[in-house]
Amino acid sequence: VSTEGTEKLRTLGVEYLNARPLWESLRDDPRIDLGLARPSELARALAEGEADVGLLPVGAAATIGDLRLLRNMAIGARGKVRSVSIVSERPLHELESIALDLSSRTSVVLGRLLLARRKLTPRLFGTDPQTAIASVGDRTGALVIGDDALDVEHRFPHRLDLAEDWLEWTGLPFVFAAWFARPGTIDAEREDIFRVAKQKGLSRVDAIAREHAERSGLSEASLRSYLTESIRYDLGDEELLGLERFWNEAASAGLLPRAEARFDEPRRSPTRQTLDTLLQRAADGERLSAAEGARLLREGSFFELGLASDAVRKRKHPHGVVTYIVDRNVNYTNVCTTSCRFCAFYRPVGHPEGYVLSREVLGQKLKEVVDAGGVQILLQGGLNPDLRIEWYEDLFRWMKKEYGLGLHALSPEEILHIAQMENLTVARVLERLHAAGLDSVPGGGAEILVDRVRRKIAKAKCTSSEWLGVMRTAHHMGLRSSATMMYGTVDTLEDRIQHLVKIRDLQDETGGFTAFFCWDYQFEQGTHLAPGENGTHLYLRTQAVARLMLDNVDHVGASWVTQGPAVGQVALRFGADDFGSVMFEENVVSSAGTTFGIDASKIERRIREAGFRSARRNVRYDWLTEPA
Amino acid sequence: VSETFDRIRAKVRAGERLTAEDGLALFLEPDLLAVGQLANEVREKRHGDRTYFNRNMRVEVTNVCVASCLFCSFAKLEEHMPGAHTMTLEEAWRELEVRMDDPPTEVHVVNGLHPGLPFSYYEELLKGFKRIKPDVHMKCFTAVEIHFFAQHYGMTHREVLEKLRAAGLDSLPGGGAEIFDEGVRRKISHDKATATEYLEVHRVAHQLGMRTNATMLYGHIETFAHRVDHMLRLRALQDETGGLQAFIPLAFHPDGNGMKNLPAPTAVDDLRTLAVSRLMLDNVDHIKAYWVSLTPDVAQVALRFGADDIDGTIVHETIYKAAGTRSPGALGYDELVRLIREAGRIPVERDTLYNVVREHDRAAVPEAALKVKERVRPRLPVVQTPARVAPAVPALKEIES
Repeated sequence: VSTEGTEKLRTLGVEYLNARPLWESLRDDPRIDLGLARPSELARALAEGEADVGLLPVGAAATIGDLRLLRNMAIGARGKVRSVSIVSERPLHELESIALDLSSRTSVVLGRLLLARRKLTPRLFGTDPQTAIASVGDRTGALVIGDDALDVEHRFPHRLDLAEDWLEWTGLPFVFAAWFARPGTIDAEREDIFRVAKQKGLSRVDAIAREHAERSGLSEASLRSYLTESIRYDLGDEELLGLERFWNEAASAGLLPRAEARFDEPRRSPTRQTLDTLLQRAADGERLSAAEGARLLREGSFFELGLASDAVRKRKHPHGVVTYIVDRNVNYTNVCTTSCRFCAFYRPVGHPEGYVLSREVLGQKLKEVVDAGGVQILLQGGLNPDLRIEWYEDLFRWMKKEYGLGLHALSPEEILHIAQMENLTVARVLERLHAAGLDSVPGGGAEILVDRVRRKIAKAKCTSSEWLGVMRTAHHMGLRSSATMMYGTVDTLEDRIQHLVKIRDLQDETGGFTAFFCWDYQFEQGTHLAPGENGTHLYLRTQAVARLMLDNVDHVGASWVTQGPAVGQVALRFGADDFGSVMFEENVVSSAGTTFGIDASKIERRIREAGFRSARRNVRYDWLTEPA
Repeated sequence: VSETFDRIRAKVRAGERLTAEDGLALFLEPDLLAVGQLANEVREKRHGDRTYFNRNMRVEVTNVCVASCLFCSFAKLEEHMPGAHTMTLEEAWRELEVRMDDPPTEVHVVNGLHPGLPFSYYEELLKGFKRIKPDVHMKCFTAVEIHFFAQHYGMTHREVLEKLRAAGLDSLPGGGAEIFDEGVRRKISHDKATATEYLEVHRVAHQLGMRTNATMLYGHIETFAHRVDHMLRLRALQDETGGLQAFIPLAFHPDGNGMKNLPAPTAVDDLRTLAVSRLMLDNVDHIKAYWVSLTPDVAQVALRFGADDIDGTIVHETIYKAAGTRSPGALGYDELVRLIREAGRIPVERDTLYNVVREHDRAAVPEAALKVKERVRPRLPVVQTPARVAPAVPALKEIES
């Protein structure tokens, strides 16, 4: 991030009506490079250092952590805000479920706090705005936001205005968003640019309301009143109290990392919690911000991280059982079009060593799994353009019918490949494969979910949001999946944390991830990418931090296939509660030179000697044997 | 952690010596990380982040052996048996000659107990290596071999050692200790030096001013109490002589030997054994994580569990290889540096006597950035006379003050 005076400040606003007065006149300022983005994209850009300043929802600001507020500018409300409400046909306490428009995470968190305050526990499910409104029925309400909320303001008999309800609870205004800057990017002079822009914007609210009325078809008078009476653009002492109260309530409920309002104060360095305090909070299972996670990964010592993650593991799994699954990794084809630089397994189309496994070979492998008491097949392969969706459907049906094993198959990359090839939506592909027998989706190919990194190591692969999108769709259909991370290529420590935050965010939304596994890049002959930082010491620290960050993911698995069974065992004291699979083969990793064979009794002994009982599991982590 | 552990921790922090009972409690403490953390405290107090390694090469000139140790996959009992091999002197010297463009600072020779070689073979062996590289350090022959030479060639321990020193011997490796407990030793290695004889050879070597290492073979039929007893016998010898440089726990590997039905110890046992060693052996400077036995991956983690030494480049190891280790036969110099750096430690190339050859920078990896203040430990002079060397415990207090 540049702090040089000559460079433009990379600034992101949001296109929402209520934000317009704050950024509109920045467009013409030569010192500002202004872009517009959806709030989630804006948060990502700030977190990944692609923007310096952003009009950021306060929930996302807490998640990123270590940002600086610009003084006296915000989007808030004291009392009715009108644009953030829960609408319903019946009174709130009679609702059994509520559809959430997920485009504002901050509003969702606020809604959950207000429900919790009333001790109401309706089932919450995330969806897009139109579907949310369409879902409103007898005992189903919807949390709606923005234009959509204004649009249905008078449509439903019951309506809880969240800012109004917040005021009634706390006596304080609510702040939805404010200008947040990365540390070191802002100074008094630059803050002034934003202050002047705000004044200009506020002097134009009538015009802004009129223009928006023309575009949206909403009433101009209503919009003018919304901008001048409902929304408050100040961030005074009261608003700051409201903001900090919200952050505190959300942190106590485990919905957001703990946060505090900080401004750019060059003379006085902001109070910094001690590492011990941070570790203690992590061990207690509090939600951590990205900045806190990065600090732990950078500064936390080996044993402190180990002990904190062990404490979290123990709280989540107090029975002291470590699970494993008996399954087989079958790589149905090695033909692949992506040519990832870290992969030694793939062969390009037409290569003499390219293969697609025949039914005969597959059948033999599956039979061996059944005979050995295995419960599942992990089926993954390259992106082979010769294999159509019908090939997969036939294969799945045949496998299910003949062998009845669990089918943990096709990573997001493969699903996207099929969707593209067949010109189908991801949802349709998943539906068809699900109908043919797919049980769950493996979390492979996630690598690092930061596109700057992905472009360097796997140019042809899907983007972070595509990967997450496939998982979101799968989870919404009731499919479960795992999540993975491969670090140690060109990724930075902050990238790894950002990866974890993205998984945590999606997990908040869907709850569909069963477990998380990580490993370092396995460098060997045949790969085309030099290794970055790795080693078992870093692996253990990384896994421990993942356990501390992923407060909403149940299980963390030790990746003994890559790290070796010895280190896998030690990893059980660094946050893991699962030993992965007793596998018959694992072509992708073994072609990079790492080969480990192990049988169930050896795994059980390692688990026992690490001080746990062992149990076999299925893909949903149900115990299939009594812990022993 | 348990109350017992709290009490032991307080003792360690106060610089008090641990008892056999404490040692056993450390093996039984459920919280592995707490034990590791305590050992790490002691390790960092002594050595900071410094982690030692050297450029060494191993030569195993013969695997013919009259002893029949149950745990051994290396020794072939008699000369004519398939796989039995004894190098000619020229073959042995050649091992060093071919490496003279990047020469080791230490040659480490360990052999079977060969009944058919003349004593002059060993003298010539040493002389030849020194001819090739006069300043190379010859760390050769375990106490078990020295004892065998004494018996076989009708000499005292002192006579054997003096003759070999005259031929070029510099120090003794620590092999052959196995487990000192007589009951266990009778079962696993009944026909070689007893515990008392092993310790006596080391005592004599120390009296002659030589430094030695000591090992312990764990993870077979012995109990935790036997391991603690083993450590305490070494601690007593060290109180007496101060001549032990490093303690090296060696994990039992089962392939192809008389105890192949036993599983090898698992990593948590390896790490805990190192940690307990660090805590019990308060008068031994160095605890070595021998990467050949542990695998480089576990050895790296061991650098947080009390170990401050990772051995050397090795070049050519055949004993653990025969017992089925997953480790490679050699690690390059740069690989060792990287392995140590990645654990957040400072790689220090040493010679056999722990004089610093080259201290490397720490890497910009996690845990490195924080520790600004380097703890430098005064180096003990090499023992020149049979005089009793002050044990390391008072030295620790010096550092604190």
